[in-house]
Amino acid sequence: MSPPVVLEARGIVKRFGGLTALGDVSFDLRPGEVHALCGENGAGKSTLIKLLSGVHPHGSYQGQILIDGRPAEFRSTRDAERAGVAIIHQELALFPEMSVGENLFLGALPRRRGRIDWDRVYADAAATLAECGIALDPAARVGDLGVGQQQLVEIARAVARRPRVLVLDEPTAALAQHEIVTLLELVRRLRDRGVACVFISHKLDEVFAIADRITVLRDGVAQGTLVATRTDAGEVIRRMVGRRIEDYYPRRTREPGHTLFAVRDLEVVGPDGAARGLHGIGFEVRAGEVLGVGGLMGAGRTELLMHLVGLWGTRRSGVVELDGRPLAADSPRAALREGLALVTEDRKRFGLVLQQGVAFNVSLSSLGPLRRGLLVDRDREVKSAMETVDALRIRAQGLEQPVGTLSGGNQQKVVLGKVLLTAPKVLLLDEPTRGIDVGAKLEVYELINRLTAEGRAIVLVSSELGELVGMSDRIVMLCEGRVGGVFGRGEATQERLLAAAMGRLDRAA
Amino acid sequence: MNRIAARELSMVIALVAIWAFFAWREPVFLSSRNLSLLSVELAVTAVLALGMLVVLLPGQIDLSAGSGVGLTGAVAAVLVFWHDVPAPLALAIAAAGAVLVWSAMGALIAIERIPAFIMTLGGLLVFRGLHWLVIRNQTVPVVEGGRQNLYSLLTTYYLPPVAGYLLAALAVAGAAFAMLNARARRKSYGFAVDDGELTFLKLFVLAQLVFLAVIVTNGYRGVPVALVVLSIVAVLVHQLVTNTPFGRYLYAIGGNEEAAVVSGVPVRATIIGAYALMGGIVALTGFMQTAYSGASTSTVGSLMELDAVAACVIGGTSLRGGRGTVLGVLFGALIMASLLNGMTLMAVSPEAKYIARGAVLALAVWLDLRLGQGK
Repeated sequence: MSPPVVLEARGIVKRFGGLTALGDVSFDLRPGEVHALCGENGAGKSTLIKLLSGVHPHGSYQGQILIDGRPAEFRSTRDAERAGVAIIHQELALFPEMSVGENLFLGALPRRRGRIDWDRVYADAAATLAECGIALDPAARVGDLGVGQQQLVEIARAVARRPRVLVLDEPTAALAQHEIVTLLELVRRLRDRGVACVFISHKLDEVFAIADRITVLRDGVAQGTLVATRTDAGEVIRRMVGRRIEDYYPRRTREPGHTLFAVRDLEVVGPDGAARGLHGIGFEVRAGEVLGVGGLMGAGRTELLMHLVGLWGTRRSGVVELDGRPLAADSPRAALREGLALVTEDRKRFGLVLQQGVAFNVSLSSLGPLRRGLLVDRDREVKSAMETVDALRIRAQGLEQPVGTLSGGNQQKVVLGKVLLTAPKVLLLDEPTRGIDVGAKLEVYELINRLTAEGRAIVLVSSELGELVGMSDRIVMLCEGRVGGVFGRGEATQERLLAAAMGRLDRAA
Repeated sequence: MNRIAARELSMVIALVAIWAFFAWREPVFLSSRNLSLLSVELAVTAVLALGMLVVLLPGQIDLSAGSGVGLTGAVAAVLVFWHDVPAPLALAIAAAGAVLVWSAMGALIAIERIPAFIMTLGGLLVFRGLHWLVIRNQTVPVVEGGRQNLYSLLTTYYLPPVAGYLLAALAVAGAAFAMLNARARRKSYGFAVDDGELTFLKLFVLAQLVFLAVIVTNGYRGVPVALVVLSIVAVLVHQLVTNTPFGRYLYAIGGNEEAAVVSGVPVRATIIGAYALMGGIVALTGFMQTAYSGASTSTVGSLMELDAVAACVIGGTSLRGGRGTVLGVLFGALIMASLLNGMTLMAVSPEAKYIARGAVLALAVWLDLRLGQGK
């Protein structure tokens, strides 16, 4: 006998123009289970959940979607919601100026005599939050919350609508380790209440921590559904990429050269006053070296990198040296001129002009050198853009394809290409592999190897401890704006790094 | 056919419809004399709109352009008529002043982060007041009656017929060379290019239009020098926005200002530069518009900023920045200038003119949204 199925997709085929996004995918979901969807970017995960939630309406695809065994024809997301399917998208869709309570019930605010019943809004909100185990004030302004807490509010909002099926699209992408723990706990709680959850994540350790079953997609084709307890990460990866990845982190260390980049006794006050800042930060990076920088959300990793290129905070004291000379970069432009380049964690916001093409974006930081007289030298521009596309294996339909239409991995490569064209000596990479697929990750790692082999220095910020340990020659853990610990390549274990990040190195050591 | 083509086609149809309507109601609309005047009016509207494009691309706006037109024209006229300053010097002084003042506005917007809308709204009021102050609420001619100077010639000089043909031939040859050259380059880069027939067709249509314009204006008094000024400004602005680092920065800032900052784009300098350029163009437009009126009066330039913005938007420029082309703006300006000219011919009341201009603007934006991006 087979267990009951709340939602089923049968033989789904979805085409965009000539491109087949999904080719004959079947998928079923049982009440009270967490079913993970794994696959590289572009494998069809997002397309599949957009079908299940009515974003792509009935009739735009072939195949059938069944709810409780009966065919469902979602013409809109509203239809899907009515059938009990709630989706939490990758990008948060909250109103930052409104309170948590308002956000939870927006669109269905309880009324009394035509006016909004605010007492009930906040009472209901408090009840929903308690039910989800979220310790938040319903009257708090959402814009004041951290990203992790906002993500929890997003889930609570879905829960308030009593869904039978909850779809979570990369809910942990922006979260720090301890926030992820809270979120996974919440998903487990919902599962135990009988909600069927679809869970999408690039992080396999999370998938194995939470999922009952795992369906792998590759190039729009289902590669089988696995029971989580009877498989392992290697098997999932093998099915995702269609080949076996022996070594996740292919770091090739080498004898480092002279000190290329040094930060000493940095005291920085943040823009929002004394509440947050950087205190007594110091480190050195030598030519050919990767310095990993880790820490929990809010530890000051991103702020540190932003400060180094003049984008964040005011320096009270401390020295930054590049190649032995003091560096006082008050803008990314000045930093680039000195050979210090930043690749930010949010590539869509800080990295790319999305509606412009590949060549436009790649050459944006190097238009000065690419000039001939007053005009941009198109021949040289196109040539260098082509070389970048080849060297980084950027998969685009041409140099004029808008970068907004590229996959995450290829977008990241465009940002890296743009930075590399300025020939930097030191690269600050903030979460360079966030939200990109396994294949593109490996390519980024190989690029890091190549750059250090050329004698450049890299500061690598990552919230994935495995990546830090695997790719860094030395690691600095930040904790609340201070250095919580420094580790050599042999000394770093995930446990010790985490202890340093939480300011508890002594007890763990 | 793609969506962009559908949008462009609908604009051509709109223009043909406007012309057909006016030609039907007022046959004199298509006379050499009127089309010649229309070309001067187009030049004034389009030059200012091209400046507006440069400001809109990085996501800014200039609401002070119209009263700036009045003020710069007034300053030059007062210098010439009341203080006997030679016209070239008067124009140079007024233009230099405009560049300085607009640079200052740009600096306040870029560095002090005063929103462009508010800054230039303030400019609108201040310049209008200064304009009236400068002319002491009188009518100040641009030249002594019955004489000529560089100022008055801006809109009253016409090229001799032969020179017109010669210039047209040169322009067409130049355009053909540029187009074929660009096509060959794009091909060598492996970019998509129009097929040969379409390229030829475009050139053929362009050549016909240019020569038609010369034939028509020669039927009156010759090619107006204002039209030559517009052509030069159009070519320069096109080069500036598409082929210089400054132009790329305009698009980058309008497309994503934060990414532009991180990419090392000199955002502040670029925005100040855009306004400095706008100052120069406002002055040029001010001279042409005042010369066209024959004298600086309190109404010269009034509401021209909105015609300029309308021309940009009708021509596909995004008010949020990052999108817009010179060709589109020229087209939008032609639609606006045709409407105004035709309505004046039909002796439409000023009330109805305002209503019609507003309706066309709203309609154009709606069409843009329906046919344009499709997002």
